[in-house]
Amino acid sequence: MIEWFKDIHWEHLYDPQLAWDSLPFLLDAAKITLFIALISMFLALILGLFLAMARMSSFWFLRWPARIYISFMRGTPLLVFLFILYYGLPVIGIQFDSPITAGIVGISLNFAAYNAEVIRSALMSVPRGQWESAAVLQMGYWQTMRRIIIPQATRIALPPTFNIFLDVVKGTSLASVITVHELLYGARLIAGRTYESMTMYITAALIYWVICIIIGHFQERLEKRYNRYLNKT
Amino acid sequence: MIDVKHLKKSFGENTVLESIDFSVQKGEVVCLIGASGSGKTTLLRCLNLLEVPNYGSITIGDKAVNFSGKKLEKKEMKELRKYSGMVFQGFHLFPHKTVIENIIEAPLIVQRRKRDSLVIEGEKLLKKVGMFEHKDKYPDSLSGGQQQRAAIARSLMMNPEVLLFDEPTSALDPQLVREVLRVIEALAKEGQTMVIVTHEMNFAKRVADKVFFMDEGYIIESGNAKDVLETPKKQRTKEFLHLLSE
Repeated sequence: MIEWFKDIHWEHLYDPQLAWDSLPFLLDAAKITLFIALISMFLALILGLFLAMARMSSFWFLRWPARIYISFMRGTPLLVFLFILYYGLPVIGIQFDSPITAGIVGISLNFAAYNAEVIRSALMSVPRGQWESAAVLQMGYWQTMRRIIIPQATRIALPPTFNIFLDVVKGTSLASVITVHELLYGARLIAGRTYESMTMYITAALIYWVICIIIGHFQERLEKRYNRYLNKT
Repeated sequence: MIDVKHLKKSFGENTVLESIDFSVQKGEVVCLIGASGSGKTTLLRCLNLLEVPNYGSITIGDKAVNFSGKKLEKKEMKELRKYSGMVFQGFHLFPHKTVIENIIEAPLIVQRRKRDSLVIEGEKLLKKVGMFEHKDKYPDSLSGGQQQRAAIARSLMMNPEVLLFDEPTSALDPQLVREVLRVIEALAKEGQTMVIVTHEMNFAKRVADKVFFMDEGYIIESGNAKDVLETPKKQRTKEFLHLLSE
């Protein structure tokens, strides 16, 4: 064991100078990662909200398609879905103007299914008494939804939604296989040229980590804001 | 004020209310008593359509609604609900809003009244129920009795002709019961029409003009509060009151 440890060429494991020199290039790529993640999550939240409403609808023709959609998206790997979108759809004449668009569409459609389930469970976890007291105060369905149910459901949905957001950030790395020039793609480019794979992938991993720490910080702040009414004066 | 005729309510095969008839005059206080599962809460919930009856009719104020097993239009529901306010056993305040925000929420959103005048009106009501000093607190930081008093103020803000109470003190510790009952008694003295589901017989004796005793979906005995509670005629009423006094 000790022999094996001694034999490791540490200079091949991580080259700080190369990492430093590559940082501007990787940070540019990280901007694309962030751009895709933000747009995708935004779209996935909106689509997720509609899917959740459809899933809870009393109309079967809304409920069943939403159910099948959610089941399909949760049951198939994002990578396969991206391949279908980018390499499969052109066969039937549907082509995206850029790999980034394909990546955003793929990630949004896929993660909308997860968001839908989080939103649905959060809405359902608001006690029935809240609906009833709003009803006896003559509030309509949308007034109740907007003023009473959604604010309470948001508090419940925040932690799982941010988990999904972190998955989206990390999931953007899969878009590198359809030639999106995001962070992992950038790291692979430099690794290919320098043969310093470990340095580049560790640096990329650290950048992903920093992005996720920043997002985690926002999550904490939002949670504090939404939890302010719990056992406080 | 309230006129209920031939009211029937079933949940699937289970019939909970069987041909209920009664009326309540303006300013009267009616207490619904009876064992658990006798249909009191369902009857109360039918009065503001939280449960839609299958058959019969309900008239509150000027609004009459007939039930014939068909789905009721939302507009009709809303119109009938204008006449009544409801106070729940579990309070059901909006936890993300402070007491004063809870009080003004519905008139602000539903009646589209101005916020400033609502706050003034809301504060007056909170003083009336002894909750003014808690107006900026969230429900989670209040005791059960305080929450229930805030819930009563919230219902009063909509100026209902009738206030419906569903076991308003059942979820409270004994020492908190009194503060809520005191508020309800004060409302009764002011002439507020009320229908109250309760197990507090002494309270019913003090406050109620009429008492209805319910059993298996029927009102089997009704009349003057003192008569029903002190000299009941029906055997089931006697048994129930005897059990309570043990």
